[in-house]
Amino acid sequence: MRRRKSLWLGAIASIAALGLAACGGSSTTPTPTTAGFNAASTAVVNSSTHVGGTITYNDTTWPDSLDAGNTYYAHMWNFTRLYASPLMTYASCVGTCGLKLIPALATAPGVPSNGDKTWTYTIKSGMKFSDGTPITSADVKYAVMRTFAKDVLVNGPSYFISLLAGNAATYKGPYKMKGVDLTSIQTPNSTTVVFQLNKPFADFNYIAAIPQTAPVPQSKDTGASYQLHFVSSGPYMLQSATLNKQWVLVKNPNWNPAMDPAVHQYAAKIIVNVNPNANDIDNRLIAGDINMDIAGTGVQSAARARILTNASLKASSDDPITGFMFFIYQNTQVAPLTNVHCRMAIEFAANKTTLLDAFGGPYQGTTASTAMPPNIVGWQHFDLYNAASHPTGDITSAKQQLSLCGQPHGFTTGIAYRSDRPRDVAMAQALQAALAPVGIKLTLHGFPSGSYYSNFAGVPTYMKTHGLGLATGGWGADWPDAWGWFDQIANGNAIASAGNTNISMLNDPVVNDALAKMQAPGQSQAQLNVIAQQINMQVMKDAAIVPVVYAKALLYRSPALTNVMVQPYYGMYNYGTLGSK
Amino acid sequence: MVTFIIRRLIASVFLLIIVAMITFAIFFLLPRLAGQTTYALATQYVGRNPTHAAVLAVEQQLGLNRPLYLQFGSFLKAIVVGRHFTAGPQTVYCPPPCFGYSFKSQLPVWPQMVSDIPVTLSLAIGAAVIWLVSGVSIGVLSALKRGTVFDRAAMGVALAGVSLPIFFTGLVLLELFVYRWNLLPAPTFVPFTQNPFQWAQNLILPWITLAFLYAALYARLTRAGMLETMNEDYIRTARAKGLPERTVISKHGLRAALTPVVTIFGMDLGLLLGGAVITEYTFGLHGLGLFTIEAVQSQDLPEILGVTLLAAFFIVIANLFVDVLYAYIDPRVRH
Amino acid sequence: MAGGEAPREEGRPDRRFAGLRARGRAPAGQTADQAPAESAPTAVLDIRDLHIHFPTDDGLVKAVDGVSFALERGRTLGIVGESGSGKSVTSLGILGLYNRGNSQISGKIYLDGEDLVAADQSRVRELRGNKIAMIFQDPLSSLHPYYTVGNQIAEAYLIHNKVGKKAARAHAADLLKRVGIPHAETRVDDYPHQFSGGMRQRAMIAMALSCDPELLIADEPTTALDVTVQAQILDLISDLQEEYHSAVIMITHDLGVVAELADDILVMYAGRMAEYGSGQDVFGSPGHPYTWGLLGSMPRLDRPRMDRLQSIRGTPPSLIHVPSGCPFHPRCDYAARNNGRCEREVPELRPVSLGHEVSCHLSIDEQRRIWAERDKVAS
Repeated sequence: MRRRKSLWLGAIASIAALGLAACGGSSTTPTPTTAGFNAASTAVVNSSTHVGGTITYNDTTWPDSLDAGNTYYAHMWNFTRLYASPLMTYASCVGTCGLKLIPALATAPGVPSNGDKTWTYTIKSGMKFSDGTPITSADVKYAVMRTFAKDVLVNGPSYFISLLAGNAATYKGPYKMKGVDLTSIQTPNSTTVVFQLNKPFADFNYIAAIPQTAPVPQSKDTGASYQLHFVSSGPYMLQSATLNKQWVLVKNPNWNPAMDPAVHQYAAKIIVNVNPNANDIDNRLIAGDINMDIAGTGVQSAARARILTNASLKASSDDPITGFMFFIYQNTQVAPLTNVHCRMAIEFAANKTTLLDAFGGPYQGTTASTAMPPNIVGWQHFDLYNAASHPTGDITSAKQQLSLCGQPHGFTTGIAYRSDRPRDVAMAQALQAALAPVGIKLTLHGFPSGSYYSNFAGVPTYMKTHGLGLATGGWGADWPDAWGWFDQIANGNAIASAGNTNISMLNDPVVNDALAKMQAPGQSQAQLNVIAQQINMQVMKDAAIVPVVYAKALLYRSPALTNVMVQPYYGMYNYGTLGSK
Repeated sequence: MVTFIIRRLIASVFLLIIVAMITFAIFFLLPRLAGQTTYALATQYVGRNPTHAAVLAVEQQLGLNRPLYLQFGSFLKAIVVGRHFTAGPQTVYCPPPCFGYSFKSQLPVWPQMVSDIPVTLSLAIGAAVIWLVSGVSIGVLSALKRGTVFDRAAMGVALAGVSLPIFFTGLVLLELFVYRWNLLPAPTFVPFTQNPFQWAQNLILPWITLAFLYAALYARLTRAGMLETMNEDYIRTARAKGLPERTVISKHGLRAALTPVVTIFGMDLGLLLGGAVITEYTFGLHGLGLFTIEAVQSQDLPEILGVTLLAAFFIVIANLFVDVLYAYIDPRVRH
Repeated sequence: MAGGEAPREEGRPDRRFAGLRARGRAPAGQTADQAPAESAPTAVLDIRDLHIHFPTDDGLVKAVDGVSFALERGRTLGIVGESGSGKSVTSLGILGLYNRGNSQISGKIYLDGEDLVAADQSRVRELRGNKIAMIFQDPLSSLHPYYTVGNQIAEAYLIHNKVGKKAARAHAADLLKRVGIPHAETRVDDYPHQFSGGMRQRAMIAMALSCDPELLIADEPTTALDVTVQAQILDLISDLQEEYHSAVIMITHDLGVVAELADDILVMYAGRMAEYGSGQDVFGSPGHPYTWGLLGSMPRLDRPRMDRLQSIRGTPPSLIHVPSGCPFHPRCDYAARNNGRCEREVPELRPVSLGHEVSCHLSIDEQRRIWAERDKVAS
């Protein structure tokens, strides 16, 4: 008798607590200004030149590095512009305007010569670092040179290493090769930087927009620990950095707005706190305790439900295309997917509706039918496999394709996916269910995301030995043109033995040649657009990937921020223009 | 007593070395048994789309291709005498205790752990004080008022405390006190030396969350201990001497009832000092628990080794402390 | 010390019967309250019609059901009986260790004229360990293992006297010396587990004596000890009784112990008094069949050796469902002689000779005859 009473009390306490938590809606969150849902995608919200105040960001983890030369995340390429001015940058405007490059530290876009193998930049004179020392071309050269030290600065992209001529092939960075010059970059005077490439590359201005070109004074460089006390060339400088906890930026007194017209010095202070609980970040954001989630990939599902069902919260949110795509690679070297018709059968049979659900629904993405997202320059819509007319799958056409590839009763193959990403798991399962009715049996193989590309899906021999014909994947371009998008996922020359991202093992000369042609000198934008669409179309004709979604992210727009806009290349809010009310 | 402590400390050093060896072995040998090469291992520390040369360079920089016994030897040596490390233009000296450099960031591990220790320490010790005081006193009162409404209510709440997961209790508290009623700020860690009031204000919710669970356990434990103790013959003797009941309870009853509590407390505190993972995560406090999770997720061996040894060290010290305390409480153990 | 012969103080009249005369003889069914006016209690301890009942989920446990006796300073009363006879409950009741909340206590317990049953809990606590002290059966479990013996002895002294810690400690050392523990000055700081069994019991006795009690209750003080040590402890108790002139209640199931020390003997059965009288009377001419059984089941040195001990058949009764009439009747060999009277009627305690009372339906003659037979058979 006694025991039961205790149990009752315990039960009542729990139910009471559950009841409290279940009560949705908040009575004390601040009422946001009703600029409207998706307002920041089409205009600047809360336009203001007001100076002062503090902006507080949260990050779920310390980034790969604060060092602009050593980071490879979209949100960091966005954020580092606050303290590191590259040669070129993306314009701070909405819509396709924001996909255009404008000069930042450079006075003008690079001048190509020598058949697009030489690129010359002039940097603005009279600019200073945050410590007062002048910024010269040597600092830009040094910034690039240090990225060759791949043993120490491991994170950033390797474009310079693969594109530069001279002794770039053997140069190991200024730490190991002290006093050795990188002959691929010349600095004839203090404001001129000349890059010598080993092949024509028309897209070099995009490369110049990578944060790795932001100047670094050699005397202050300390390698891996530079991120904790870097010298700034942007509107803000580092006040303090406590690893894994917080970093704080304050105004750079030596900032000259001419150095980068895309960023501004409005807020007095910027604080970024590490908070590993993503759901808590959303709560704090909505409650007004913080102003921005730095990751820019959208709120978690709990907050999403809350925002979408509350009119005033929804009016303070934006749902932009992020520039990422999620798709399923089809491995052209694993039988029977070696035959294009078997691959096309999968394209037809895929159930776009359940795949979109798996991905999180219409606010998380829109159904994709091409191989590159709409924010890539030159994108045009097409639909080879009836995604629009048969959103739950075109079984008839699938069966036709199966007969054509000699597998009328279907076949069995494996699908690799990242087991710690719920969306990957859901995608794999959705595809498995969609293919079953046509007789294609998928066996599921989950792998940890940390080693997915390095040890499993990105190792061609592993995929082949284990009969893994499919692999889930996601991709974002390093710059918004078709070359930046396709080169690493569809170029036969980019196939690597480990860390491979051309998991389809596509080696189509049409694609390879078109990609090379894009970098050839003398193309007009119209011509480039045509080539872009050709590559897009060919990759889909080859059925190298099953497109799932053009990703979207539901972002919450803090009412305390000014000059909020969606920057279409980064696919998130523009961190360079924000101010505080 | 002094020789006892010294012997235990020496044994602990050996224990820690063995813990390090096992961690090392698990990290390297198990994947190797599954066929992973050090090249494949190195690719995990290299960022996206690495070139072949980059992976080789990292493999070399991190010393992954050196024989295991050499790597382990360097690790031990670094703890004792420090180590020179090059991750930039200069070679830097990492003074003892040097737990190496993170594979991911190539920054020294020890300072990172040191900056996380105050968070976990504040969290664990603050909660410990609360749960000891509340749990033990409720347990004692429940035992003395056995069968009454107080007893049943207390044990009912204790059942809730033991059954409700930490992240649930934490979320409810956050929702009520921070987001709904705005009584407290959203928790961030303010060091005690910086502002004691804010330090406590930010930690009060995590303390209560963590303490709720343990207080419940300790209330039940103390109650059981007290009930058993109060039935002992020496309690009857104490009463027969004419001692006031409160002396009988506090001097004669409590000291005996608390010996199991002391033992368990040592274990609990020791484990908690290695990181209160769920609480830290729920409230966004970066302590040793989160450090451990991140280290494991990124397969960062020096960090894993560092935090494992630190946690083991705390457990060893806590157990030693408990044993000494136990000998102080119960004289029979001394002879 | 010869059994049954109590030293008498000079000039003091024999007060053994004072209690008897004072009690009077209440007819069956009437409580002591309704008896003719009581006379004032004159002995150190005077218990009148004590009932201690415990209500439990299974029923009312009548642990002590009508016990009365008187005890004077310098005399020893032995209470004898099986487990469950109510002996320990009586002594704990005297100490006032039963919680009013879960027990029903009625009757009177006069300590030096003061009624403990009616008294305040705090008053009773004042007297506990002070004027009344108790020694328990198992000194290892009855002493707190975490505190030194000196601390525990001094504790009682400190509670009841306004003295400093040093004085209390010195007193504790004195007491240890008095009870015969060698090196008392250093032993005072030792823990109970560092003493041998006999030494521990001595320490417990020292603790009981710390406040110079008028009444000492010893509950099976030798049961947990070796035989050789038993004798030492009993000697010690009797020496101390002489020295401190306290009244002693010795509770035991061992008749040999009682024979050694007791002036008077109370035989209890099922919470009631079966027989009460001087040692001489109870051992020499016992009247109750239960007493006969106890004596018969005792190995004796002054008799030739028997092949078998005569045990009492049956088991002790439940205190919730006490047998009707005489509680002993289910186990009594002589119950059949009374035409069912033993089953129906509760026998009263009536005197069979001066100062010797028995509660049995057998007539005095029958008792004497039966005992004479049994005694002859045994010898």
